[in-house]
Amino acid sequence: MKKAVLVLFVLFLSSIISAQGFDDQKYLLTTKTNTFGISSLRFLDPYLSPLIYSGSGVDFNHESRRFLSLSNTHISIQNRYYLVTGVADNPAHTASMFYFGANYSWGMHYHFRPAKGIQLLAGASWDLDFGFKDVMRNINNPVNLDLATNLNLSGLARYDIALCRRTLRLQLAVETPVLGWMFVPTAGASYYEMFELGNHSNLSHFSSVFNKRGINPKFTVDVPFSHSVWRFGLGYHELKYKANDLVFKRTGFSLLVGTTFDVISFAGRKKQAPHNFISTDE
Amino acid sequence: MKSRKIRMKKQGLIVLLAVFLLPSCMNEPAVQPNTHEGNFQALWKIIDTRYCYLDYKHINWDSIYTVYHQKLPAAKTNIAFFDLLGGMLAELKDGHVNLYSDFDLSRYWKWFQDYPDNFSSSLIEKDRYLGKNYRIASGLKYRAIDNGHIGYIYYGSFADGFSDNNIAYVLSSFAACSGLIIDVRNNGGGSLDVSKQLASYFFKENTITGYIRHKTGDGHSDFSTPVAITTPAHKSIQWQRPVVILTNRMSFSATNDFVNRMKLAPNAIIVGDKTGGGGGLPFSSELPNGWMVRFSASPMYDSKMQDTEFGIDPDYSVNLAAADEANGIDTIIEAAITLLK
Repeated sequence: MKKAVLVLFVLFLSSIISAQGFDDQKYLLTTKTNTFGISSLRFLDPYLSPLIYSGSGVDFNHESRRFLSLSNTHISIQNRYYLVTGVADNPAHTASMFYFGANYSWGMHYHFRPAKGIQLLAGASWDLDFGFKDVMRNINNPVNLDLATNLNLSGLARYDIALCRRTLRLQLAVETPVLGWMFVPTAGASYYEMFELGNHSNLSHFSSVFNKRGINPKFTVDVPFSHSVWRFGLGYHELKYKANDLVFKRTGFSLLVGTTFDVISFAGRKKQAPHNFISTDE
Repeated sequence: MKSRKIRMKKQGLIVLLAVFLLPSCMNEPAVQPNTHEGNFQALWKIIDTRYCYLDYKHINWDSIYTVYHQKLPAAKTNIAFFDLLGGMLAELKDGHVNLYSDFDLSRYWKWFQDYPDNFSSSLIEKDRYLGKNYRIASGLKYRAIDNGHIGYIYYGSFADGFSDNNIAYVLSSFAACSGLIIDVRNNGGGSLDVSKQLASYFFKENTITGYIRHKTGDGHSDFSTPVAITTPAHKSIQWQRPVVILTNRMSFSATNDFVNRMKLAPNAIIVGDKTGGGGGLPFSSELPNGWMVRFSASPMYDSKMQDTEFGIDPDYSVNLAAADEANGIDTIIEAAITLLK
């Protein structure tokens, strides 16, 4: 009987020790946010049409952010994937444009904490941008592609408002391209000439604030509920660029909703999960 | 020291202002209002700056503006306005120029209407030629004619693509034939890729068969340097016996391109009428009222940099004789058979 009590005591003690071990050890959390949006879209693509096409679409945005390391809680790394698709019409509604866009971005931000509940993040990001525009009724110029990579300046401002039962987080994020490379078709040259016959002249352009400008402010509110944090927001983006005597413009306004949550990843020999974490691998 | 600081601040402010005023360097092009006047101006300018044959055809587009702009006040209805714009575009005498609205398509068809047909679909369906039991492989209608000595393919549209397997079956069915006829009469064009593909089976080596340019500015003769158009020799399927290409005025656009390529194929002869042309690769644009305009944007040339807009002459000019037609005989096919024997 004494032996049984001793064994139970040792087991209880070891469980406390392991729990305390997990409590004591620091882990880097990754904050992930997924949002869906409904967008109004406007396009000016003079390769396809001299008219502005406007319409609507849906978008999905995935962001993840974590600090650089356990010892550095001033610099964070951000990854973002953005997908958007929509249909826009010319002003007379006699032709439609199908649009699909994708963007991947990777960035780093320095966190300033000037006062309790306020964070200012300043940094830069690098992105890959792809867009596919199709005006189906066009002949020999039905499609145009947006291909670009940019170095952006980016910043965020966060303000936590403590209410009686929950703390809301207000966030304003802004990004603007500074330098990069972009593909722009030659006005008047068909994709047949550019790609089938290999006339690649004037397709590749260095971009800077002199020929490419854009801004995409996004205002969001994170609202914590019992078991989840929901994000609601408004987003706007405007991108304008010029090359080969063509001025392109893309603007959008979206209402977005999603969730944000923290995860921790365990992988490899050195980042193994504590014993009280149950994995499907076991 | 203080004045230096103020000067530096001023300079910084100027740089900052310059950066934020930069969008003014990227002005969006002005769009004409959606009125008859605005749409007229928009169409006239699209052709003035982007149509590629104004100088080549010696068209005085400014005087055409004057003539048609005077008629504008009389065009009260949309249909009258459409007809006015269609008439202005017809001055270009180009089969690749059209105005598309919800109720009509303007066109210039004199490039074939003013010439003999030189083709009858009922003639090629006589038992002497395709008959009723011909085979069809993805748009290629084919049968051995002249007692099995000559292979005959009728190909009606380069918009109907086909595979290497299709052509391999067709050509292998003509293994016993001494020659081949490819009839592209009344073929109004389609895809340049398909034109290149069909020509590739008749070349032994990659050959530059033409050139293309595009407009680089608003001036009527602002063109890029020519880019070579190469017809590749197909790696595994090659017809190395004589081949005759049959043409008429309705052999247009991508068919014109095919005939231009076949002009340089080693064993090919062009027989029939001059092709209809259509050497300008067409582009699309649109007016503020949503009407679409198609126009020749990129001129295409033969291997000697001669324009192909007005058509390609056959090696042997043959017309369909009325007497032959009455007897169920296609004079042009018969001429091709004679050449292949």
